Amino acid sequence: MRTTGMNKKTMVIFYIVLIAIALVQLYPFFWVALSSFKPASDLARPAYMLPSEMYLGNYVKALSGRLPNYFLNSTIIAVCVLFSLVALGSPAGYALSKMRFRYAEQVTSFFLFGMMIPSFACLIPMFRMYNTLGLRNTYWALIIPQVGFGLPLCIYLYKSFMSRIPDSLTEAAAIDGATKWYIFRSIIFPMSKNVTMTTLTYNFIGVWNEFTYANTFMSTAEMKTLPIGLNDFVGEMGMVDWGGTFAAITLSILPTLILYIFLNKQVIAGMTAGAVKA
Amino acid sequence: MKNQKLKKRIMPWLFLAPALLVYCAVVIFPIIQSIGFSFYDYSGIGAMKFSGINNYLKIFKNSSFRIAIRNNIWLMLGGTCIQMIVGLGLAIILSNIRRFASTLRVVYFVPCIISSMAICQIFAKMFSITPEGVIPGIMKLFGMTPIAFLSDVKWALAIVIILDSYKFIGMHMIIFYTALMDIDESVVDAAIIDGCGLWKMYTKVKIPMIINIIVAELVILVNGTLKAFDVSYILTGGGPGTATELVATYMYKTAFTMTKYGQASAMAVFLAVESLLAVGIVRLVGNKLQQKY
Repeated sequence: MRTTGMNKKTMVIFYIVLIAIALVQLYPFFWVALSSFKPASDLARPAYMLPSEMYLGNYVKALSGRLPNYFLNSTIIAVCVLFSLVALGSPAGYALSKMRFRYAEQVTSFFLFGMMIPSFACLIPMFRMYNTLGLRNTYWALIIPQVGFGLPLCIYLYKSFMSRIPDSLTEAAAIDGATKWYIFRSIIFPMSKNVTMTTLTYNFIGVWNEFTYANTFMSTAEMKTLPIGLNDFVGEMGMVDWGGTFAAITLSILPTLILYIFLNKQVIAGMTAGAVKA
Repeated sequence: MKNQKLKKRIMPWLFLAPALLVYCAVVIFPIIQSIGFSFYDYSGIGAMKFSGINNYLKIFKNSSFRIAIRNNIWLMLGGTCIQMIVGLGLAIILSNIRRFASTLRVVYFVPCIISSMAICQIFAKMFSITPEGVIPGIMKLFGMTPIAFLSDVKWALAIVIILDSYKFIGMHMIIFYTALMDIDESVVDAAIIDGCGLWKMYTKVKIPMIINIIVAELVILVNGTLKAFDVSYILTGGGPGTATELVATYMYKTAFTMTKYGQASAMAVFLAVESLLAVGIVRLVGNKLQQKY
């Protein structure tokens, strides 16, 4: 009965508006993907025209530069950040939801407080710290801040999910003499795999796309991540090689897009939770 | 027995310790240090000299920083309005259709998962005059003279506002959409029986019912737009001139191009306090609004 009071004409207008906006949302990505297959002769023609053939030379050019190196850096950093977030966040969430102790509430608000701090406000001290410790231009300089600023939401998600797991499930194990660590590792953590999936997917996208830390802490060419590398790519190839640039952009979007196609529910859940909570 | 008790008390902290340690080292310690730096005359090298509120006086006298604040207020107003109106409008339309609703929802979210860098690079190419990008090409097709939007003082800020909104509109749409779908069917049915049309259904029934989400969205949008950085920094570098300079981009330049750490820290503190204040005001007004309904 939801649509009562609506005639066919309104419905048609609705669909036209929706499809028009969907086209606006997707066109830039279609355009860049199509343009990446254009040979030089096509690139000289008006930009909105379709490619006349499937030309792969742009990809060959893009991949022969530093791009594979940037891919590797981004991947290593993403894996380390994701692993650390789950490894640090899930036990903390467990302690805050399933163990009764005096300062549980205060610790929770202490973590939540972190979501209100703009990471920008911490850049200068971080830069100084990493400089002194010799961590600039190492993977650590990008792993540490992203884990630190990712923890509050990660812990919050684990905590709220775990507190809904009934205690009766763990009591039997406790009576049998299972340690807290055992209960966490073999009962609670496996049951929270939905939260783990959400944490992994939306953080992967965040880490893969991260710009500010990489731009600040990485200055040598071989340590750059994809987003920063993409920026250099334009300069490196000059204004002339647009084909190579298009291919590089397309390649850089591909991993997040593939992940999104398969796991869009988790991605959307994680990102909206991040926005609403912050 | 005493040992057992002690163990029980220490146990939670063992689970918490690694996370707490990292969190304090990465988030809490630097923010405290930032506040500290803002009261010192400090440029990275050499001694730090205590200078009281001198840095704060300096940044507010700085005309570039004042322009950055003004631009940022425009971005906040423009970005919040665009994302609010388009996001809510789309969510309303989407909640009224049956077919393809879930596919469209997934499509609208796509720009949120693409890096700012890729989006800015794509749009920079689309706006480019030489070689000619899509937008000047289409303008020519319609017999218009192409405009160099990104290097035109009159247009650059508008483009930054639009692109910043473009990137996140899908997410705000989904938050509204979820709220609209959560409204109790029976309320809607009762309104229909009372002869409630589509327009009244929204202005009198549905929107008042999700007013809490609208306030929450307002908080997210105001908070997010005040801290905006990526699009302006990557797409226009704050330029042409200071046309798209924002508080965050100017703070970043002051810190890492001019290496005036003291003043940049004062700007960072200003940014944090400003957004906390703005969020507080929105919440206060929002609560009043909620009581009215």
